[in-house]
Amino acid sequence: MKKCWWLIWSGVLALSFLSGRVSYAPQPYVLEYPASFGHRINTPADNPLTKEGVYLGRLLFYEKQLSAGNKISCGTCHEQQRAFTDGKTFSTGVDDVPTDRNAMSLVNLLWVRNFFWDGRAPGLELQAITPLTAPHEMGQPLEVAAQKLQQSTLYPGLFNAAFGSDQISGDRITKALAQFERTLISADSRYDQYLEGRYQPDSAALRGLQLFSTAPAPEKKIRGANCTHCHGGPKFYIELYHNNGLDSLPRDAGREKQTGVAADRGRFRVPTLRNIALTAPYMHDGRFNSLEEVLDHYSEHIVSSASLSPVLRQTSNEAGGNSLRLTKREQKDIIAFLHLLTDSSFINNPNFSNPFN
Amino acid sequence: MLYKLAAGLLISAFMATTAFGQTISVEGEVTTPLKLSVADIAKMKKTEVTAADRDGKTHRYSGVPVTDILQQAGVTLGAQLRGENMAKYLLVKSGDGYEVLFSLAELDAAFTDRVVILADQVDGKPLPDGKGPFRIVVPGEKKPARWIWEVTTMTVRFAKD
Ligand code: HEC
Ligand code: HEC
Repeated sequence: MKKCWWLIWSGVLALSFLSGRVSYAPQPYVLEYPASFGHRINTPADNPLTKEGVYLGRLLFYEKQLSAGNKISCGTCHEQQRAFTDGKTFSTGVDDVPTDRNAMSLVNLLWVRNFFWDGRAPGLELQAITPLTAPHEMGQPLEVAAQKLQQSTLYPGLFNAAFGSDQISGDRITKALAQFERTLISADSRYDQYLEGRYQPDSAALRGLQLFSTAPAPEKKIRGANCTHCHGGPKFYIELYHNNGLDSLPRDAGREKQTGVAADRGRFRVPTLRNIALTAPYMHDGRFNSLEEVLDHYSEHIVSSASLSPVLRQTSNEAGGNSLRLTKREQKDIIAFLHLLTDSSFINNPNFSNPFN
Repeated sequence: MLYKLAAGLLISAFMATTAFGQTISVEGEVTTPLKLSVADIAKMKKTEVTAADRDGKTHRYSGVPVTDILQQAGVTLGAQLRGENMAKYLLVKSGDGYEVLFSLAELDAAFTDRVVILADQVDGKPLPDGKGPFRIVVPGEKKPARWIWEVTTMTVRFAKD
């Protein structure tokens, strides 16, 4: 309740502040992230980050009026405590019909170039149109969303502060959402603290890191899991599309639906492993309930097919093996390492939380 | 003759499965953008190189020199590769999203004897599933990380800074 007053008050403040001024002067929002993440970031020239825009985007992210019947917000399927996932195999939106795919974690999106499990949306602004309008998600035309907000007391002033006029449109809604999403940076896990010498992992996690980063070579007696080939680098993903051996005849053709190329059958974008311990169930269809099941898959059950990733073919700790064949202890060690990627300051960051609570 | 026929049959069977619908686009700082089909590339002059893959074993790769393709697209090579053109690069992309970069000078025959090829065969056979129909082979490089497979796009650009 107290928060709510504060919101209205800041809205009014923004309004009165702007009506007394001729020019609109939003303040630039300065992004902070480790240099090791690289500067290949994606902010379109017509949507620079501003403090006003990011703040508005945060409100919109948790705004139920953006859905048909005011039932749900983006935050319903993307909960901060779960690194912006929802803990479900498939999500349900306004019509209670399950979505086709598992809700993705929203983390370090600033570096992503093509969104969704199949990379079909080249930009966050464009991406946001899908959940806002899809019948099994928020199910409401953009014009209706814009009208509802226009009639509110809160929003016209906030749009004015962010975009220079109180005109609310679908375009501005997606721009503000994208600005907020670009600030969702996770770079303070215990693994990051370990790299900075502020945290000492136990020996299981260190063995796990070693396996995670090493390609197996049984002929040289080198054991490894080769996860970094796809989930490597400081962001724990490389923007690649691979078929990681889940099915021989995938029910969801993945990227093939986009490209029509047979080699893309069952290929999905490699997801980040940051905060992975918080985002079960796993894979595009949420088929695995635990990291134990994921490790069991890579270790024992890689299914071969014409589009199986070459990286996973004949990659094994046993000569001639078709799956990794890690021991139970090695699997546990890798899981211990994956737990180091949980970033509690990210999931507790007050700037990302629901402002209406 | 028979061998050639068999190889031809093999290639077409291969094309029917994996390569269907795939082309290689050559774009960017070119005078003639290209969209090369498997058939287009089959018509070009072939070169063979031997090089060691990740398995440590030496293989015979056959394909088209990358510079022949770039020349066909009108990229500044040879006598034109000087001055500001020295700041140009070739970015090669794979269907799986992987990307690797070469400076033009490290490909050009006026600068190096090493011939980087766009291979379509290894040891006389089409490339295996997942690596074809075309793969870059860089002879003499210690690590085959630039041997990008499933090539879909070759883009020439000026470095910006
Ligand atoms: C009904 C549940 C639901 C709601 C509501 C929802 N999402 Fe999602 N979100 C999903 C699912 C499921 C996916 C994966 C869909 C796919 O790949 O086809 C996803 C994917 C995404 C992605 C892609 C992330 C990546 O790495 O590619 C972004 C970004 C995103 N959602 C943002 C939003 C925003 C912004 C909103 C509110 C406007 C929103 N979502 C509302 C379920 C939801
Ligand atoms: C060839 C590339 C590749 C390699 C190597 C690889 N992965 Fe994956 N991984 C993927 C892809 C692609 C997906 C998404 C697949 C899907 O949803 O269909 C994925 C999904 C996952 C997920 C689920 C993520 C989520 O958000 O649901 C986890 C966990 C995971 N991988 C862990 C690992 C571990 C641990 C290793 C090493 C043992 C590994 N991966 C090796 C490509 C790879």
